[in-house]
Amino acid sequence: MNFWDYLGTRHQQLLTDAYQHASAVFQCMVVATVIGVLIGVATYRSEWAGNLATTVTSTVLTIPSLAMIGLLIPVVGLGVAPTVTALTLYGLLPIVRNAIVGLRGVDPALVDAAKGIGMSRLHRLARVELPLAWPPILTGIRVSTQMLMGIAAIAAYASGPGLGNEIFRGIASLGSKNALNQVLAGTLGIVVLALLFDAAYVLIGRLTIPRGIRV
Amino acid sequence: MSPTPGDDPHAPRRGPVARQAARPPGEHEVKGLAFRDAYRDEYGEDPEGYGAEDPAGPGPSASPVAREPRRVTWQKLTFLPALLAAVLLATWLWFARADLDPISRNALSDGQVGKALRQHVELTALSTFFVLIIAIPLGILLTRRRFRKGAPVAMALANTGQATPAIGLLALLVIWLGIGERAALTGIVIYAVLPVLSNTIAGLRANDPTLLEAARGIGMSPLGVLTRVELPLAVPLILAGVRTALVLNVGTATLATFGGGGGLGVLITTGITNQRMPVLMLGSILTVVLALLVDWLASLAEIVLSPRGLEVRS
Repeated sequence: MNFWDYLGTRHQQLLTDAYQHASAVFQCMVVATVIGVLIGVATYRSEWAGNLATTVTSTVLTIPSLAMIGLLIPVVGLGVAPTVTALTLYGLLPIVRNAIVGLRGVDPALVDAAKGIGMSRLHRLARVELPLAWPPILTGIRVSTQMLMGIAAIAAYASGPGLGNEIFRGIASLGSKNALNQVLAGTLGIVVLALLFDAAYVLIGRLTIPRGIRV
Repeated sequence: MSPTPGDDPHAPRRGPVARQAARPPGEHEVKGLAFRDAYRDEYGEDPEGYGAEDPAGPGPSASPVAREPRRVTWQKLTFLPALLAAVLLATWLWFARADLDPISRNALSDGQVGKALRQHVELTALSTFFVLIIAIPLGILLTRRRFRKGAPVAMALANTGQATPAIGLLALLVIWLGIGERAALTGIVIYAVLPVLSNTIAGLRANDPTLLEAARGIGMSPLGVLTRVELPLAVPLILAGVRTALVLNVGTATLATFGGGGGLGVLITTGITNQRMPVLMLGSILTVVLALLVDWLASLAEIVLSPRGLEVRS
């Protein structure tokens, strides 16, 4: 059975896996973005807290994902829970870092001007600082998503959802005729999903980055 | 020991002398006006004799040695190793008291933990070595005039490569090359070459073209420009690439177990498939400790090996 035949006969399964992969990554990214930006907003004004957040996130980023999942299993069990926890945790890191860098990079004169025309703290944050810090945050989201695509594949080993299952099925049946097809389908599926997400982010960037600061 | 007056070792001995004598090195007189080479701003260094002319006033702190900040602070040297040692100690104490069932004991017996750890370190070190000897020369080649057209292609390839899941790449290689350490090693190397390559290219490209022009202008050969100007200037970025490679490789090496390559991943997967939490925990903790240790060592190397003139001072 060649690859195209394989895709033809298994497309139902593959589409389900692809959908689950994309939806797991997407949902975790939404949660990670919200939490990451909140952490950034909470810490960027203090030198100490901001640096602590950056150091902690970069330390966690060096932990291999399989080890992280391994540490999570005794706590939350197998299945969707460790996948979602690990994905959200890893997804946070580039976003927190970029949010802090972005928010600190906002010209203080602009914030001062906003204060001068009578904007409240919350208003300044929502109308001035966050829109200006949005491009780096969006870059962080892109980096996170690419990373999560690969981590989600590994999480399938802890009975997580997604295309990683296809790859692990292939590894389990090494030597059989379908092993290559399964691994190839899983891998290429993830690459395609990653590229689709990336294209979507370019579009989101076009739509959401204020025209005045577009490069 | 009582210093005789006027011979205080802390007194600015150079100051008055330098001022009376001809202008100190780096200062010239142009049409009666004093000019000073901008050594300090350019390099953050304080060549002999400059402390004396400091507007803040010559004093004990003005000596070049005293104002040099320590590159490696003691906090940086001690904090992480202490933390990791504490984690390892806690794990060991926990294991000494835990009572393991036969399956767990079997998985951890006969020095299998040591073997897995050794394999893991071996995989990481070997793959990093190969990554460096492939990526750095390739990066240099792709920034030469003749091959410069290839650089965007390599960069685009690097970006797509990032989207490929490591586990899928490894599985494909295992199918192609067969089970064993070779497939695992190849996969780890391929996965890390691209980030280091793009780091090297970015580092060499970021060099100020006027410096290269100047180097050529004083008659340096292309090889001389490369080895004496370009590479030293790109050292920080290349070292950052090495660090990236090391950290990536420790992580990818955990996946080597899926291709029969051994490593600490063996303990993790055994723990998951047999539902034996002690084995799983031990594998995971050792992996985490190894990753953080490697990152720490690489960060020290980054600080120590960077050319001093390129340091950013706040």
